[in-house]
Amino acid sequence: MSSKTNRRFLLGVFEREEDLLVATDAARTRGFDIADVYTPYAVHGLDKAMGLRASRLPWVCFALGLAGATFKVWFEFWTSAVDWPINVGGKPWNSLPAFVPITFEVMVLFAGLSTVAAFLLGRGLLPGRRAKLAFPGVTDNKFALVLEETDASFDVDEVSAMLRGFGVTHIEERVDQEPL
Amino acid sequence: MTTPYPGLTPSHRTRALFKWLALLGAATFGLGLLFARQRALSSFLLLNIGFLGMGLGAAFFIALQYVCGAHWAVALRRVPEAMCGILPWAALGILITILVGRSLYPWTEEHATGMKGVILSYPFVLGRTVVFLGIWLLLVRALVHGSRLQDDTGDASLSESNVRLSAVFLVVFGLTFWVAVFDWVMSLEPEWYSTMYGVYHFAGLFLGAIAAIIILVVWLSRVGPLRSVLTAEHLHDLGKLLFGFSTFWMYIWFSEYMLIWYADFPEETAHFVRRLTGGWGPLFVANMVVTWLIPFFILLPKPVKRNPDMLVRVACMILFGRWLDLYLLIYPAAVGHETVTFGVLELGMALGAPGLFMLVFVRAYRACAPVPIADPLLNASLSHHQ
Repeated sequence: MSSKTNRRFLLGVFEREEDLLVATDAARTRGFDIADVYTPYAVHGLDKAMGLRASRLPWVCFALGLAGATFKVWFEFWTSAVDWPINVGGKPWNSLPAFVPITFEVMVLFAGLSTVAAFLLGRGLLPGRRAKLAFPGVTDNKFALVLEETDASFDVDEVSAMLRGFGVTHIEERVDQEPL
Repeated sequence: MTTPYPGLTPSHRTRALFKWLALLGAATFGLGLLFARQRALSSFLLLNIGFLGMGLGAAFFIALQYVCGAHWAVALRRVPEAMCGILPWAALGILITILVGRSLYPWTEEHATGMKGVILSYPFVLGRTVVFLGIWLLLVRALVHGSRLQDDTGDASLSESNVRLSAVFLVVFGLTFWVAVFDWVMSLEPEWYSTMYGVYHFAGLFLGAIAAIIILVVWLSRVGPLRSVLTAEHLHDLGKLLFGFSTFWMYIWFSEYMLIWYADFPEETAHFVRRLTGGWGPLFVANMVVTWLIPFFILLPKPVKRNPDMLVRVACMILFGRWLDLYLLIYPAAVGHETVTFGVLELGMALGAPGLFMLVFVRAYRACAPVPIADPLLNASLSHHQ
């Protein structure tokens, strides 16, 4: 889909996470296209209700952790056995047990920072990005479910009635290029 | 009382298997005492420390759940509770080892001097053994009793009194367990000492107990009692604990090893030298591979932790690692480090241990409802999700 095309969205706002969960689950099982869901905190079970596929971030974490550990073992070997050997307590230059704690720390550092960095890059959350709220209060105490009106069979009245059944407090239609 | 959960009725063949294994173990132990006394006693100590680990590890698991107010494992709590049934047997076994197996402990012949001589004097060690075992048995018994009583009375205040009891148990356990393993296992090499020894045994104890809990809940979900109870969500959390404590064990193992390697004092390194020479080296490495390295990489992906078959396989590997770990701690010290001693005696007794454990477990599990039906947190546990 071209990014220039305007898309139509239906936004439903909920006061309670339980209402949001059942409404999202119902929207998915009825085959509606869930554009996104906005909540002030991580809601348990929401990924399942939205039908999200498993995150690929663990792979970044694993690969960069492994790379960090490998790099650190090599670096310690190079500094203490190749480039500037120093006799510490009569130990061999290449003393693997002494490298382990720092290797572990660097692995954790690489794995942790790279996962956060991959998340920020993947979401486009670069410095200078302005915050846009789907609805005032979604970072405070409101929960917003955004459905996309993908084709003509999307009946706004019918869907609104369904959402009202789940305790929606506010419904509005939006025309925009992106859900936000 | 009727419950919606079917009771445990193992098939005739399963019961026969447990009985024959236990008999095999008892027979090899009996014959071993006659023909290879030192080896038989060493194996006996090894298996009883293992049993103690199962019982105390299970009690620690229950106590931790109570003091944290955790609901997720409440529906499975009868499994660790029944595992505590092995504790009186382990206590008896350890008492017998201290009374009959004096030949295992060099300090009973060559007395140490100074403060060490006071700490390792036979009456004092025997006295500590009786006191520690007695306190643990009383506290764990009270904890299990409170939980079972709740089934009949439905009294929610029993949960609160068990929370207090759990807190007491955790503190007492933490203050006594390390002294106990110093007395029963570390003193096999009285000239060697490590301040990491207690926490090292604790790491192994809890890891082994989690592995056993996983195998037992999966078995019980296949044969009936937990069929409608155990979900992938419960397994996922148990798998995370298994993964975490496998890594914790390795962390503690390495912490002890590295400090001794770094300082390089002959009286400290002797412990590791005995386990790296005389053919023990490959077993020394295998211990780390089966208890941590392989489980770590297998358990990393999320789907594995939710898959009962995979989880049981890893748990079995870790339980084998637990045996190997205790074998490496006890045998080079008590039997001899010049050569690796392993034969029919060790195999027979190691096979007998799960037989006896399962006989005791099945009996304890059948003594009450298969799920704590009146626990206020049961419903939250049944519908637990990540």
